[in-house]
Amino acid sequence: MTDNQQTGKAFRLLLVLLLSAIAGWLAYAVLALSSSPAGLGEQVVTHLDTSGVGNPVTAVLLNFRGYDTLLEMAVLLVALLGVWSLGGIADYRESPPGPVLDTLSRLLVPVLILVAAYLLWVGADAPGGAFQAGSVLGAAGVLLLLSGWRLGNRFAGLLLRAVLVLGLGLFVIAGTGLFLIGGAFLEYPPSLAGGLILLIEAAATMTIGATLAALFLGNRPRVEPDK
Amino acid sequence: MTGDLLGIPWAVLLILLPLIGGLACFLLPSLSKSLGLLCALAILVAVGGLGWQLAENGAQRYAIGGWGAPLGIDLYADGLSLLMLVMAALVGLGVSVYSSAYFNGDKARHFWPLWLFLWAALNALFLSADIFNLYVTLELLGLAAVALVALAGGADALNAAMRYLLVSLLGSLFYLLGVALIYHGFGSVDIAILAQRIEPSPAAWSAVGLMSAGLLLKTALFPMHFWLPAAHASAPAPVSALLSALVVKAPFYILLRLWLEIFSPTGAAPGQLLGQLLGLLGAAAVLWGGIQALRQTRLKLLIAYSTVAQLGYLFLAFPLGTSIAWKGVFYLLLSHALAKAAMFMAAGNILYFCGHDRITDLDGVAQRLPLTLAAFSLAGVSIMGLPPSGGFVAKWLLLETALRSGQWWWAAILILGGLLAAAYIFQVIGHAFTQADAPAETGLVPARMEWTAVMFAFAAILLGFFATDAFELIGIGAPTSGVSGG
Repeated sequence: MTDNQQTGKAFRLLLVLLLSAIAGWLAYAVLALSSSPAGLGEQVVTHLDTSGVGNPVTAVLLNFRGYDTLLEMAVLLVALLGVWSLGGIADYRESPPGPVLDTLSRLLVPVLILVAAYLLWVGADAPGGAFQAGSVLGAAGVLLLLSGWRLGNRFAGLLLRAVLVLGLGLFVIAGTGLFLIGGAFLEYPPSLAGGLILLIEAAATMTIGATLAALFLGNRPRVEPDK
Repeated sequence: MTGDLLGIPWAVLLILLPLIGGLACFLLPSLSKSLGLLCALAILVAVGGLGWQLAENGAQRYAIGGWGAPLGIDLYADGLSLLMLVMAALVGLGVSVYSSAYFNGDKARHFWPLWLFLWAALNALFLSADIFNLYVTLELLGLAAVALVALAGGADALNAAMRYLLVSLLGSLFYLLGVALIYHGFGSVDIAILAQRIEPSPAAWSAVGLMSAGLLLKTALFPMHFWLPAAHASAPAPVSALLSALVVKAPFYILLRLWLEIFSPTGAAPGQLLGQLLGLLGAAAVLWGGIQALRQTRLKLLIAYSTVAQLGYLFLAFPLGTSIAWKGVFYLLLSHALAKAAMFMAAGNILYFCGHDRITDLDGVAQRLPLTLAAFSLAGVSIMGLPPSGGFVAKWLLLETALRSGQWWWAAILILGGLLAAAYIFQVIGHAFTQADAPAETGLVPARMEWTAVMFAFAAILLGFFATDAFELIGIGAPTSGVSGG
């Protein structure tokens, strides 16, 4: 028994030493890095005026490396599919919300939707964009779910699924359409780039918001027969 | 007309088809079986198109968004990518056919979109030329794979899936840290550009270490295989086939690309040392996996440990390092994928039929499921590396290189591994041929599930006859041009 404990202790000590050595080496490697990184910042700035937006982050995420973002939308959808496939947990609607939560959620949700719309719009030229706006929208959804609101039967089936695939779907359709009219996949013509990016981001915002709220709920909303 | 067809960017289609298929299956669950099968056929056609394009025009590079590296993301397809895509298309079609009989109702509703997204991640990974984009595809792959393992339900599967998720995320984070160091140091994430720019520095060596560690964890090289047997054994049978045949090969493919194009040319002594270390771990995996497989009492766990052993062989080419050794590894990737898919499907049929997979209680399987047992045995021939199978060609090439370079100890590992494989496969076959005392209560296995397993096993054997043609296709774009000794 004590022998076991001692080997356990020795093993843990060895682990700590090993991890410290690795951490030390990594710290040395990071300190040895040159202070002027050889990044792609200059290239991004040079091509910014043909990207359709004024915010370099949005230009990279939605235009220069839009393909990464497309796959990230798929990651988000797969995460939700994974959670739904687990079967979910029992609904916790039972306790009615207190008056504070009830009133506050009525006040806050419209404001959050407005903030999301603003973040989406401002993302073209300043910090903001689909992921930020989508998170705010998702927070509004979580607040609604906490105060006992549930999606009605009429919307829980195909319509909900349509919103959940809208972001990735529109991205894929836009990319494929552009390549059918003669460009490369996801190659936006500079004159259309701004509008296309806003459209894709708007769809992505709704999908991200709906996905985050659905992830919070856990189980797939079931369409129940009318009573 | 042919010019038009050659102009189609088949590489992009290979990524879009499963993505669109996955979306459609999610949107219209009642049609998901037909949509999934249709998608699998379309992908096979697209792989054929890409293969033709490569044979006519050589290796292909495609700039997504028209920007081109280093600003944008490039796709790159050469013989090695083609090999992996063909492997995914063949196994994918078979698994789709098998699953159309295996999954029903709610399970099918969840399986099809997850599987098609997993396929999209695989195709995107095999075509990517960008180390950050590879990280994104790894994330998509890992999440979809974990969800598919959990589809089996029950405490075992959920535990295994949870562990798999944590390991997968840890591996991804190691890889991502390496990518960050490389981007800071060399200002690009494109593999071809990095191959020219990279030079030895503390940051570069840390990146090599971190990325390799992350990828090895995901490929389950001994001793980082601890998560694999539980995950592969407790998943539903078609998912086990996918995981062993395709998913563990994906991080190995990234490691191979990085090794052949970036890490190896930076060469010098530490590179040699790392190669020897990988070879040693591979050898340990071959022996340990074989011994553990022998000790298992459950068929699916035995097959899962056999995967641990077979993955070990892939790493024997790192210390050998010649292009013939790499050819052996490429062929082993393909033949193992086909043989292991056949084995897991056969195990799935047995589980479906008997309701259990205890090896000692398999008596009578030979009389009742002759096709399934034939599939298991033929696949076993390739796993053991007996002629004329694909596994034989692969191991022969490795053996020849080991002996020619005077490193006989790798040859000894190859032979020992083959003997261990023979022992654990004959153990199963022996029990299956035992006469049953009393016929047990059994279910009926759909013909589709038996025939798919047999087709894969046959394909793994037939692979031995097409080695010359296959190597010509794999050689397109000279994926091993960075290594010494032609």
